[in-house]
Amino acid sequence: MLNVAVIIKLEPDFSEGNVSYNSDGTLNRAETKNILGPHSAVACNAAFYCKVRYDAHVSIGTMGPPIAETALKQAQILSDAEELNLYSDRMFAGADTLATAEVLKNGIEKMFGGNKIDIVFSGHRASDGETGQTGPQTAWKLGYTFLGNVIDFEIDLDRKVVVAKRMISLQGMDTIIEEIESPFPVFITIDPSYKSNFNTVSQRLTANSFGKEARKHSEESGQYLKIYDGKALELDPKLVGLPGSPTIVYRVEKIPRAKANRKAEIVDPSNPNNLAPVTEKIIQISRGK
Amino acid sequence: MKMSNSPLEDGNPKTDEKYRHIYVIIEHFEGQVVPVSLEMLGEARRLMDDFNQKYDSTEKVVAVVLGSNVRTLCEELVTFGADCVIYANHEELKYPRNDIDTRLIAQIAKDTQLIKEISPEYQNTFARPRYMFFAADNIGRHLSSTVLAELESGLASDINKLVISDLDIRHEHKTKGKTVRYEKILEMYRPDFSGFLWTTILCLDNKNPEILREYHPQGCSIIPGAFKPIERDSSRKGSVIEYSPERYQDSKIKILNRKVVKKTIDYDTGKVIVSFGRGIRDSPENNIKMIEELAQTLGAEIGITLPLSKKPYQLSQNLDSKYMIPDRVIGTSGNKVAPRLYVAIGLSGAVQHIAGMKESEVVISINTDENSPIIDESDIFISGRLEEVVPVLIEQLKKEFNTISMRSN
Repeated sequence: MLNVAVIIKLEPDFSEGNVSYNSDGTLNRAETKNILGPHSAVACNAAFYCKVRYDAHVSIGTMGPPIAETALKQAQILSDAEELNLYSDRMFAGADTLATAEVLKNGIEKMFGGNKIDIVFSGHRASDGETGQTGPQTAWKLGYTFLGNVIDFEIDLDRKVVVAKRMISLQGMDTIIEEIESPFPVFITIDPSYKSNFNTVSQRLTANSFGKEARKHSEESGQYLKIYDGKALELDPKLVGLPGSPTIVYRVEKIPRAKANRKAEIVDPSNPNNLAPVTEKIIQISRGK
Repeated sequence: MKMSNSPLEDGNPKTDEKYRHIYVIIEHFEGQVVPVSLEMLGEARRLMDDFNQKYDSTEKVVAVVLGSNVRTLCEELVTFGADCVIYANHEELKYPRNDIDTRLIAQIAKDTQLIKEISPEYQNTFARPRYMFFAADNIGRHLSSTVLAELESGLASDINKLVISDLDIRHEHKTKGKTVRYEKILEMYRPDFSGFLWTTILCLDNKNPEILREYHPQGCSIIPGAFKPIERDSSRKGSVIEYSPERYQDSKIKILNRKVVKKTIDYDTGKVIVSFGRGIRDSPENNIKMIEELAQTLGAEIGITLPLSKKPYQLSQNLDSKYMIPDRVIGTSGNKVAPRLYVAIGLSGAVQHIAGMKESEVVISINTDENSPIIDESDIFISGRLEEVVPVLIEQLKKEFNTISMRSN
């Protein structure tokens, strides 16, 4: 039996109509709703793929306030998870990535009654924090082999290995696609470009039926939900939340508007003739003059 | 003025004597140092020159490089600002692999034999580096995370400004609400996801007596292109030290195959880039198709702003996976571009976006708001709705291009 975990995050909903920006361009958090982050959703798709192809058991975990339950429910729709875990405690508040990883590590170790998880998926990075650090730090604390930027993967159940493709793109260098192999347990952060492909009719049928099941299960998501506080996770209070965070946010300031570098010529497009000189200029440039 | 009321410093050796130097983790590819590594060395050099004057003349910039056949890179790193280069050379290290690289860098960071060679005066007191820099890229982002998890210290990602200073800190947990002076603290500035806010992150020891704990090194990952390398100076002197552990632990990661892929998105060789932002929101699907047509007419590559990479619209799968992706982001946390023509459509020009396109030769923007910051970076500002302007441009351009091709026939 393949045991798969997904670490997700409740994030501001950046979709148009739901996101609210202040007049200075910053996010209005009070007015912006929260949802399952888009990169977390991709990680759920990867877990769903494991379910369809390899009959995996899926467990989802998140650290957050009680409202993060909504993200777990959305994650269940995408992955048809058997288990939803919310790690929620006031003592976790203010955690940086290292203190968050400590909570997630203990959470993952308690999934499926403490049965070992073979593969953990997480998103590329959160839409709001954008550090991309929590995944690899959780992996390291767990002692799992970390594979980042994974764009595609297959599993060899007999040999208990993951065969993955990952993309490496460094500044000013050619992009490399590396095919790698690693034995369980592994921790994978999945690239935003990942798409699960169900190639055969039977895979597509299985995917459809699991998809339907998932929606049904999520209507009763409460049945699948387990809530853990710090004590239930057997966490050392000194290693979580603010006390366990090496870093603090010292200051938040507006980035000053840069000095005007160019003096724009303002064109009024209400008369299309006014655009003719612009067109002329574009053509000159694109022809290399 | 030095305050010595910190309980941490009652013992011996003092915090300040246990943590020394800036360690810069170097990346290389096919025998070339990746530019961001030289940029980090440049910034480390500038910071350390000030540090040497202000605090202590003996601390150094230490470059760390792992690989096979990397010995030849070491002198180059000295000419770009390193006082000392530690290298590990082994066939197993030919390509980056997170597990062995993490263990090795953590060992190097704690190795007292190495310190004996770098600065013998610290060999009895040294515990770890004071600061550690990594690249915020596909390799360094993850490597920094796992190394700092192993070293159990703090890390800030995607930094584009660094300052070293002494700060009076009052913090509920770090200082138990008392004001305590912290010395030689690295202020790590990171632009946030909106591009309008700058957050300063600090990595601080817990000086609260109830949760005493030291957090060093102060680690960060640095955005490629954020800093400038120093000018190469071949007369610079530095030491080169080989690190050869007794044995290399095997990596669990087996590389089966590596191949170069053609970049599907090319911002380097084209003359024109057409970018769009949240201004497309009234009719995203149609507007993107329209912008696609404009780009095709011009043979241009398409870019987006950072907020669009967060997939704010319901789009057909095709447009969504093609355009609303981090690889297309122009800005501090994406691509820096310098085309002959940059067409900015429906984007306001957050500082972080401007930083990615300001080197463009000519900038034409289309926007309804003449107060948008993008106007300061535009040569021509078309003050109108993109839905009305873009079709006219397409029509006029097609007409002109047709005339031209007819003439040349």
